[in-house]
Amino acid sequence: MSFKAFKKGMHNFTTNISIIINTILLIIVYFIGVGITFIFAKMVGKHFLDMKLSKGSYWKTLNLKKKPMVSYYRQF
Amino acid sequence: MYILGISCYYHDSSAALLKDGKIVAAAEEERFSRKKHDTTFPDLAIKYCLESQGITIDDVDYVGFYEKPFIKFERVLSQHLECFPLSLKVFLSSTPSWINEKLRVVSKIKKSLKYKGDILFIDHHMGHAASSFLVSPFKKAAIVTVDGVGEWTTTSYGIGEGNDIRLLKDIQFPNSIGLLYSTITAYLGFTVNNSEYKVMGLAPYGNMDRKTNPWYNKLFKVVDVKDDGSYRLNMKYFKFHWADRMPSHAMCSLLGGPIRKPESEVDQRHKDIAAALQMVTEDIMTKILNHVHKETKCNNLVMAGGVALNSVYNGKILKNTPFKKIWIQPAAGDGGTVIGVVHYIYNTILGNKRTYQMTDANLGPKYNTEQIQTFLDKNNIKYTTFKNDNELVKTSAKLCHENHVIGWFQDGMEWGPRALGCRSILASPCNPKAKELLNTKVKHREKFRPFAPVVCDDDAAKYFDCDKPVPEPTDYMLMVYPVFKKWHKKIPSVTHVDGSGRLQTIRKHQNPRYYNTIKEFGKLSKIPILINTSFNIRGEPIVCTPHDAYKCMMGTGIDYLVMDKFLIKRSENPKDMWDSEKYAID
Repeated sequence: MSFKAFKKGMHNFTTNISIIINTILLIIVYFIGVGITFIFAKMVGKHFLDMKLSKGSYWKTLNLKKKPMVSYYRQF
Repeated sequence: MYILGISCYYHDSSAALLKDGKIVAAAEEERFSRKKHDTTFPDLAIKYCLESQGITIDDVDYVGFYEKPFIKFERVLSQHLECFPLSLKVFLSSTPSWINEKLRVVSKIKKSLKYKGDILFIDHHMGHAASSFLVSPFKKAAIVTVDGVGEWTTTSYGIGEGNDIRLLKDIQFPNSIGLLYSTITAYLGFTVNNSEYKVMGLAPYGNMDRKTNPWYNKLFKVVDVKDDGSYRLNMKYFKFHWADRMPSHAMCSLLGGPIRKPESEVDQRHKDIAAALQMVTEDIMTKILNHVHKETKCNNLVMAGGVALNSVYNGKILKNTPFKKIWIQPAAGDGGTVIGVVHYIYNTILGNKRTYQMTDANLGPKYNTEQIQTFLDKNNIKYTTFKNDNELVKTSAKLCHENHVIGWFQDGMEWGPRALGCRSILASPCNPKAKELLNTKVKHREKFRPFAPVVCDDDAAKYFDCDKPVPEPTDYMLMVYPVFKKWHKKIPSVTHVDGSGRLQTIRKHQNPRYYNTIKEFGKLSKIPILINTSFNIRGEPIVCTPHDAYKCMMGTGIDYLVMDKFLIKRSENPKDMWDSEKYAID
């Protein structure tokens, strides 16, 4: 087996390992972080998306206009 | 002062460069990378923008980004929190790209471009609003933005006056007309964020009568619409907020069957559903626009967002609402927000006076005569040179009149999804077989899709029942109008099944060669209209370079290529080794 093939094999191996580790970590984050928050939210009746139909208008006040310069440097 | 706008990581990455208040270059990444709807960081589009002005990134004063990534991430997290544990699969597939790319925009821009200056983040729908209003001919206008989703907003309206824009109200995710349209597009077996226009083209084959179309009323179970145009989706019919598939099982039950498999037969039910969707969309949009007119009391309207590319509805706006004038910029979708970002920074944030009005879309790469001749000579391509513009125009018109298909490569590449006479394929609309010929030999498109006519602005009202004066968005192929009945049989290839045409009007100052060729064709055929379809094959972005154009011609049934002042005949050149049929997929 040439060094090049060995290097390629090692690269594939590390890629696969990192995918497996990332997936395990994300599953833990999902069930602990998202899951626990979800349970608390359910307990207090909090909804994160507006999905309920109602009788009134669905327009929400946005009032988005020019802001101070500093706010445009922010990603939020 | 130079300002660079960047959009990426969702769909249609793009870049635009503003110099002292004027857009000098803009292009979508897909044209350079040759990957349709490329989402990656637009290195190549940025490189083009900078090189077109002979500057480096050090000369750029500000870089603007087309959304607020952290707010968008908050919305994505909210979806996971609301839909736990159903969203696990999407969480696992999408989170890595958030961690590695989308939340690292600043470091990506600084590292990739070696940029040391300021980066400003503009709200997505403000980018849309600015992309339309600040380059429009209006000093004051009502603004409506409607797309799939930005950070949270999916639909918004407001008012623009001078340099200032105020977005007053919005509707937020998951309630979205854009996502409703995309969901039915997916249900009909077409690709989302790509083929919505195909559904729009399919609709006229269905039952367009609100009283007798069985799906029209059923779709109103999916969306609750108020008289003021505000709406909310009934989420039991959707899965896009937690899955990578859009319609739910309830939607499939409602619409009487499973999701259509891509490339399988499109039957009458599919056509009727497409028709119902188009009618529902039009009804919602009319209510929104009537409400916006009432609230803003403006007679001028500017629109942006993917839904503003619904040219069938756009052609009805001035007839069905109190608005008197309309403006939509050629790249109304997400890629086009970069135009808004750079103008918003220059005009609104920095307070500079508006001096630019978009009058054509030729903002992409240009190749001069010398560069094209060098390409042709270097590749041993046989060609002839036109002595002057008159010969070019006469020969091109004659070739079209003889039912040849022409590749037309002139001037700067178009900004936006439509080819507008710089990277176009031209043919005679009078040939009843032109549609079939173009479809089978060149475009490989679905048979139901119509081809578009191009007509000089001064001739448009003779052939099309259009608004008068012809609105500027018609120059960008953004309005569909009825073809007068007496012309239906004379221009069959561009008359859609419902008797409409998605026309492009061309004004002489925009592209004199193109304008004169159409006029010359009119002298030969008595009808000054040509078929204008984008210079690409299905599944490939529109051509950008002379190489792309030559390759496309040699792999398809295009007979001639008119590139700057050179005429290249396909049969005189060796056939390339590639076969366009192989790439004819979306």
